[in-house]
Parts: sequence; C-alpha cells; structure tokens
Amino acid sequence: MKQRILMFLMISISALLQQSLPSWPLFGGIKPPILAALTLHYALRRNNGDMWFAVFTAALMRDGLDIGSFGPALIAFPVIGYFSHRIRNEVFTDGLVSQLFFGAAIGLFTTFVTLLIYTATGQRPFQFRLASLRLFGSIWLGMATLPLVSLTINALENALPKRRRYGWQ
Amino acid sequence: MLRNKKIVYTAAIGLVLIVVFVPLPSLTLKGKGVVRSTMAPAERGASSVWQRLSEATAALRGIGGAAEKNRDLSHELVRVQAELNRLRDVEIINIRLQRALDFREASNHAMIPCDVVSRNISGWWNTVRIGKGFKAGIKENRAVISPDGLVGRTTEVSPQTSEVLLISDPACRISAKLNRINVFGLVRGAGSTLKGHPKARMEFINKDAEVRVGDEVVTSGLSSAGGEFPKGVHIGYVEKVYRDESGLFQYAEIIPRATVGLLDYVFVVSEAAMEDAR
Repeated sequence: MKQRILMFLMISISALLQQSLPSWPLFGGIKPPILAALTLHYALRRNNGDMWFAVFTAALMRDGLDIGSFGPALIAFPVIGYFSHRIRNEVFTDGLVSQLFFGAAIGLFTTFVTLLIYTATGQRPFQFRLASLRLFGSIWLGMATLPLVSLTINALENALPKRRRYGWQ
Repeated sequence: MLRNKKIVYTAAIGLVLIVVFVPLPSLTLKGKGVVRSTMAPAERGASSVWQRLSEATAALRGIGGAAEKNRDLSHELVRVQAELNRLRDVEIINIRLQRALDFREASNHAMIPCDVVSRNISGWWNTVRIGKGFKAGIKENRAVISPDGLVGRTTEVSPQTSEVLLISDPACRISAKLNRINVFGLVRGAGSTLKGHPKARMEFINKDAEVRVGDEVVTSGLSSAGGEFPKGVHIGYVEKVYRDESGLFQYAEIIPRATVGLLDYVFVVSEAAMEDAR
C-alpha cells in the first residue's frame, strides 16, 4: 500500500512537472514525456499489479489534465506498460543504450497515438510538416527524458528507508 | 483461468475504445473535473511556490516589493484599459448615432481576476489552466483578457478550474475587426513561431478593403462560438496581408500582443460578475 501511495505521489509530481515545463517550438510544441517515461520505469521494475496501477493513474492524469477527449494516454500507456512488462527480464533496464532506445520508442509511440486519435476524431487539424516535426522531436525528447526520470526515481527510492525482516533499516 | 484473463483484457480494450471514440462530452467533462479538482490544490501549491521563488529571486536582485506593486498596477491598468475601450466604443457609438438615429448599443462587462496555475500538459494544445471555475461564476466561451489585450476564451470549465484556449490555438476562432477601417473578419490561431511567439490569422476580410501592415485588430463584439465577447479589446497588429486563393477575400497574419506566462493573472469577462457587482 505504501508503495502505491509513493507511486501515486511520484506520478502526481511528474504530472505537475510536465505541466510546468515550457513546450518546445523546435519540436512542434510538444513536451518531454515524463509521465510516459515513469510508466515505462515502473513497468520494467514492478509486478503486474503495480504496473497496471501506474499505467492507469498516469494515463488518467495525463488525459484528465489535458483538454479534448480522454484517449491518447489511455491507449498509449497501457500498450507501453503491457509490452515492456513482458520483456522486462530480457533487457538491461538500467543500461544507458536500452534507456535511450526505450525513451525514443515511448516518445515516438505516444506522439503517434496522439496524432492518430486527434486526427481521427477531428480535434486537431492534420498538418504534415507539424506532424513530422512532432514525431521527430518526440524521439529526441524521449531519449533525453527516460534516463533522467529513471536516474531520479532510482536515487529517490534508494534514499528512502527500506523495510526488511528486522523492521526498518 | 486463461479464458477469464482473455475476457478481462477484451472487456478492458473495449471499454477504452468506447471512452476514446464515443463522444460523451458531459461524462468526459465530469471525469476531467474529478482529475482536475484532485490536482487543483497541488497545482495552486506548486504555482504559489514558483511565485514565491520568482519573487524571492526578484528581491535578491534588488527590486524587492516591485513584483507586488507591479501586479497591483497591472490590475489597475487592465481596468483602466477596459474602461477606455468602453469609452472609445461609446464615443464611436455617439458619432454613429448622429449619422443614424436608430442606432443604439451598450457594452458593460465585469471581470473575474484569475491566476494562471498551469500550462497544457501535452503541448498539443495552446492552453493554460486558471484557478477558478464555475463556482466562481466562469462559463464556457467567455473572453479572457490580460493588460496587453485578448488572451483567448474559456473552455472546459470544471468546479474549481477552467481551461483557457489561447488565441494562438487553431481551435480558437474570434470575431474581430480592423479598427482603422471598421472591416470585419475572423481571427483564428496559427500556432507559434520557432521562438515561441504566438501567431494568428485574420480571415474573410473583404477583398476590397485597404488593409495596411500595422493596422490594429480588435474584437468585434459579435458572438463568438456561442459566447459573449466585449467589443474593442485589442488582439494584435497586422503583420502581412495576403489575398485568398479564391480571390474572394483577403487574409492577414497578425501578431497577438498578449502572451501569458505560468505565473501571470488574467481576467475572465463575466456577465454573472457584472450582475453581482450591481
């Protein structure tokens, strides 16, 4: 339970941080995918129940705080969570190359799903140049975000006292 | 067991697809209202922490106290500007009344001051969130103004917060006019420049109108998206003028003057507030 409360707090803080960061006009105005990175981080390191908790909390927060219909994160995050959780034992989760690759993948995938949903539902006009810029930019932003998020969460979790058989250490 | 798992997954996927693709605006807004109300205290807290930090930084730079004074003066300035706009309208109306005896129009709006508590989370929309919602009398499609002019309009109003669709967002359309020649058109957002400055376009300008670079664009006061906009609020200046491909209209690129930051405050034009003030 404490673990989940901590996860909820981390997701809330990440949502606040993602909102506060300025958008990047050079990358089509999109923001660093902090919540997607956090979802991936938990999916690669936690059990199935925790993974789904993180996925849906982050997705509801991301879509709930955004305008338009619920959707982009509600579709993208479960897919990210499900597939990364399945391959978690076959990858070096803390390796920099893996993190750069996963970061690029989640950035691109989240942007692609958002683009698809907004275009299909007519909420955003489709402009080829802007869409390409966003897809390209999301790769770089994802690559920059995931290692930082992972490093921060690992450092925070290591700093917290851990409970063992003998009580709190 | 495996069959049950499959059923659960299929049901979950089905539910997600229904939520995403079946338009249920009131249900969506309720869901979003819950998330936003949960996050509102944290957003306000974070916003006030940022504000204190920025004020502390300003104080360290030797201009302590200037931030508060500046805010008060800006509050006063926006009220004076609104009054000036109203008086300007009254003056124009007087002139027209002399020409056409039957013409009569009055414009009187009150404003609700609101703090900007957060920016858009994804960057796909040009929006900011303000810390007041329908409990404070804010309704959808109301004009949002700052000391520099029109900022945008309200959309998705929840009990404690409201989203403001900025004038640079392509979904933001506002009825406007060129102040110098009194020609009407529609201002639509056009995103932002690479430097992050907002862009907008004034469309459907009469092809015979003589539009000049530097002409002031103001709100026309005609109803926009079902909302009510005050008349004569500054939007921006014409930067370039083009002829429409069909040749029937002209359109102009405009630079909106009002840009809004995370710690700024804005005013929502409200009929309800006006009634309360009386």
